[in-house]
This record gives sequence, C-alpha cells and structure tokens, in this order.
Amino acid sequence: MREKRWTIWMTLSVIVALLWTLVPMYWTLKYAFETHSEIAAFPPLIFPPNPQVAAFFNIFGHDYTLASGQVVKGSGQAQQIMLGLRNSLIVAIVVTIITTLVVVPLSYVYARLEFRFKTALLMAVLLSVSLPPVSTLIPFYSLYVQLDLVGTLTGLIIITLTITIPIVTWMLIGFFRNLPPIENLARIDGFSKAYTFIRIIVPMAWSGILVAAVIAFLFSWNEYVYAQVLVTGSRAVTLPAAMSGFLFQVPNPEHLAASLTISLLPPFFIAFFLQRHIVEMNLSDPVR
Amino acid sequence: MSNLQFALLVTVPVLCFLVIVVAYPLGYALWVSFHEVSFFGGYSTEWVGLDNYVAVLEDGDFWRSALLSVRFTVESVIFTMLIGLGLALILRDLRGRWVWLRAILILPWAVSPYGTGILFAFLGRGQSGIGTAFISLFGSEETINLIAANIVVEYLALGNAWNLAPLLAFFLLASMMTTPSRLYDLAAIDQINRFEVFLHVTLPPLRFTFFVFTCIITVLSLKQFDYIFTETQGGPGNASSVLTYQLYKISFVNLELGLGAAMSFYLLFLILAVTLGLYFFWGRREARNA
Repeated sequence: MREKRWTIWMTLSVIVALLWTLVPMYWTLKYAFETHSEIAAFPPLIFPPNPQVAAFFNIFGHDYTLASGQVVKGSGQAQQIMLGLRNSLIVAIVVTIITTLVVVPLSYVYARLEFRFKTALLMAVLLSVSLPPVSTLIPFYSLYVQLDLVGTLTGLIIITLTITIPIVTWMLIGFFRNLPPIENLARIDGFSKAYTFIRIIVPMAWSGILVAAVIAFLFSWNEYVYAQVLVTGSRAVTLPAAMSGFLFQVPNPEHLAASLTISLLPPFFIAFFLQRHIVEMNLSDPVR
Repeated sequence: MSNLQFALLVTVPVLCFLVIVVAYPLGYALWVSFHEVSFFGGYSTEWVGLDNYVAVLEDGDFWRSALLSVRFTVESVIFTMLIGLGLALILRDLRGRWVWLRAILILPWAVSPYGTGILFAFLGRGQSGIGTAFISLFGSEETINLIAANIVVEYLALGNAWNLAPLLAFFLLASMMTTPSRLYDLAAIDQINRFEVFLHVTLPPLRFTFFVFTCIITVLSLKQFDYIFTETQGGPGNASSVLTYQLYKISFVNLELGLGAAMSFYLLFLILAVTLGLYFFWGRREARNA
C-alpha cells in the first residue's frame, strides 16, 4: 500500500517537473509555426491553428508558399544566421577542447591535494569569474582594436576561455572531492603523481570530464554579450549575435523563434547524450 | 615531485593566460574610473581623482539598483536550490523505461541566458502571456501581466532558476551516486522513515555541492546581464534595473564612461565580498568536514 502511494506521488511530481520544464520553451517556440497574425491574436492561442514551417525556410533566405497561396518572403538576415551557425560551432568546439584539457588536471589538484598557498592560488584562478562582462566590455574592445582582434574568431575564443576555465574548474572541484581516496593505494603501489592522475583518476572520473566538456561547450555556444560587441556584422558573427537582429533591428517573433529553435538543437543532442551517460555514471567505489 | 610543484605545474600557465588577458581591461577600467571622459567637441579625458566614486555613492539610483541586484540574487539562489534539489530527487528515481525523461528534465540548462530571457518575456507579457491565455479559457477578457513592476524581480529570479536548476540537479545527482548504497541498507535495517533517510543519508554528501553552487549562482546572478536585457530591459520603468543594467545604461547609453567604470568596481567589490564571505562562513567549515 505504501509503495503504491509513493508511485502516485512520484508520477505527480514527474508531471509537474515536465510541465515546468517544457511550457516556457513551448510557449515561444510555437511562434515558429505560426503566421504574423496568429502570433498577434488576442487572447493568445495555446496551439498553432495551422502549423507550418515557413519561418525555418525564411531564416535561411528562402521564400515559402503557404497552403493558402500566400508567399512569405525570406529574411534579409539569412547570411548572418548561416555564418553564425558555422562560427558558433567552431568557437564552441575549440573552447571545449582547450577548456577540458586545462580544467581537468587543475580541478583535480585543488580537490585532492594539500599544499601551501592552496586557497590563495585557487582564488587567483577563480577571480576572473567575478568580472562582470558589462564592465570589461569597453576595455576589451579598445584592447582588441589595438591588437586587430575585433571581428575575429580568435579574439572571441580568447575571451570565452577566460570565462569557461575558471567556472568549469569551480564546478568540477566538488565532483573530484567525491571520488574515493584512491591515491593512497596508488602511492603504496609506488605510482608517480602524473601516472596516478592519467592512468587511475582520469578513467575513474570519465563522466565528470564529459560533464566538464559539455558545460564548456554550452557556455561558449550561449555567450552573447561579448559576441554582440566584438563580432556583430562581421564575418565572425556567432549565432546569438546574429539572432539578436530579429529581436531589436526588425522585431520578428516567428523568425526569432525559428532561429532560437535551431540554436537549441546542438545543446539538446548533447543533453540527450549526457543523460545516457548518467545511467553509466556508477563510480567504481573500491570500498563498496 | 611534491604536491606544491605538481599544483604549480598545472596552475601557473593558466594563471599567466588569465592575467595577460584580463589585466589590461581591468587596468584600463581603473584608469578610466579616475577620469571624466567626454565625447563632445572631440574625445578628451580629464583627471578627476575620486570624484566618480563619490558621485556613484551619492546617486540614489545606484543604491536602488544595488538593492534590486541583491534581491534578484538571493531569490535566484533560493529558487535554484529548491528546484535543483527537487529535480535531482526526481532524476534519481527515474529508472527503467522512464530513464529517457531525464534528458527532457535537464533541457533548460542548454538554453542560453539570452534565450531564456526571450522565452520568459513572451511567457509573461500581458499581451502574449500564458496567464492571459489561461484565464481566457474560462471566458475572461482580462490580461495577466507577470512582468508588472511589483513582481518583476521575482519573475526574473524564477526564470533564472528555471535556467540554472538542472545544472545543479545534475551535480547533485552525481554526488548522490557516490553515496555507497550500503548506507541505505543500514538505514532500512534501522527502520527510519523516508524523511529521516533523506536528512541523514541523502543530504550530508551534498553539502559541499550546495556550497559551491551557492557561490556560482550568486556570482552568475550578480553579473547577469543578457538575460535581463532580453527579458525586461530593466523595466517596466526601472523596476528591474539591476546593477549590471544600470551600468549598461550609464556606460553605453549616457556614455558616462568614468562613472560607469567606478560603478563597475563597486559591483566587483560586491561580488568578491559576497563570495569571500560565503567561503569564510560556510566553505571553510565544509572543506574541513569533508
């Protein structure tokens, strides 16, 4: 009896959690399947009455003929959107690789080893997280003008790394602390520190490392403020900066919703992949 | 190789990179904060000493937005912790053929702050929002505006939590998985009830994760800009004009760069003070216990 009651509560909480998760996304993304007048309807429509995919053709520059024969024109922003997709992918992949390589040993050291100046050194690494982008934008811009880095992917990658490295380090420290105390055993066996780290810790912490990579990817893929100032309108424009045209220059909800939908696809695939991984995330606890 | 040497080996290159990239902008901002920059009649700067810093403190809007920032941050942290813990417990118990639902529950984390702002703007506005759509089902012609001056900060914090909670939930889940299952077996032998199991077995290993994420969410919320920019533009009126937004207005709209730079240092001090405070009053204890 008790078990049965539990299942009902569990089902209810899962339903609430699903609604909480999906409704905010659904509410705006449905605009991608509506026409201008359907979006403006009052009271707002809960379901698109005649779902169609014109907006997805439009943002890539193609006209689309609705079932009613009405032609919806392609968007003038199409070139920026396509460039943005490509550049965002390049920046995110490069940032992910560099961040992961740097952050995994770094957070391991601060989570597991005792040494002098530990707190001071860690604070120094984490300090750059606390810099608000709005206050370093103008200085960064003037620095980049002098270095000729405005409108380049390299410039954007450098800035993004100053955000991802400290914050991912910070998140991973907690993860490494929870690993079982394997180093002592390794030391008894006479392994060196580097060997212990590469051959024992890394394989054990594999899932944490994947998570680190995903977080770095998302921070980079989603970065907007610096991109808006440093690369908008250039060949190095990224997707969030390209999308903002639909929000501010020519407000156009269905195009905004369509490009937002597309910008969500890569992270969604990653989230799905990650979820499959949690299932296997059974840390090999030698004590267990 | 000693521990310190190993630590320096991995830390020093990263530190050098960060210092080189961040030092110039920080120094430049510091220089600007002691000057008055004007664009009329050509670009010119004039040394004004601490005038900008004094002017910020005498500005009523600064204190107003500082208070809004704190309110937004505290609420974001509380909402994220509660929702994150709830999600983590649900994720943990989703087993067998329901496991794929986990992928859906962690989706909001993949949405950018920028995108979250757009989503919650359309969701909350009186004209297009879900509140209006919902009551119209019952035949009402009213509009329900969630982005109203008196509740806008709470609404923003809720959206922020929507975005951040799955990340926390994910890390909580990872920590839960490291709890040896024999502890649960022991609890079953002791016949303690579900709430006690949660309190004494599930929760303790999560405390360090809670500490780390309280810090991370505090910092992210205090420096949050894009989310608020796309959702409310500091409005309605200036009801959600938090420090970062005020900073943006002063530096990029009013072009008072000196004043903006001085204000950004107050924001930086606020962020550092809060994180250091959290570390000394909470983190050190957790680090010792672990």
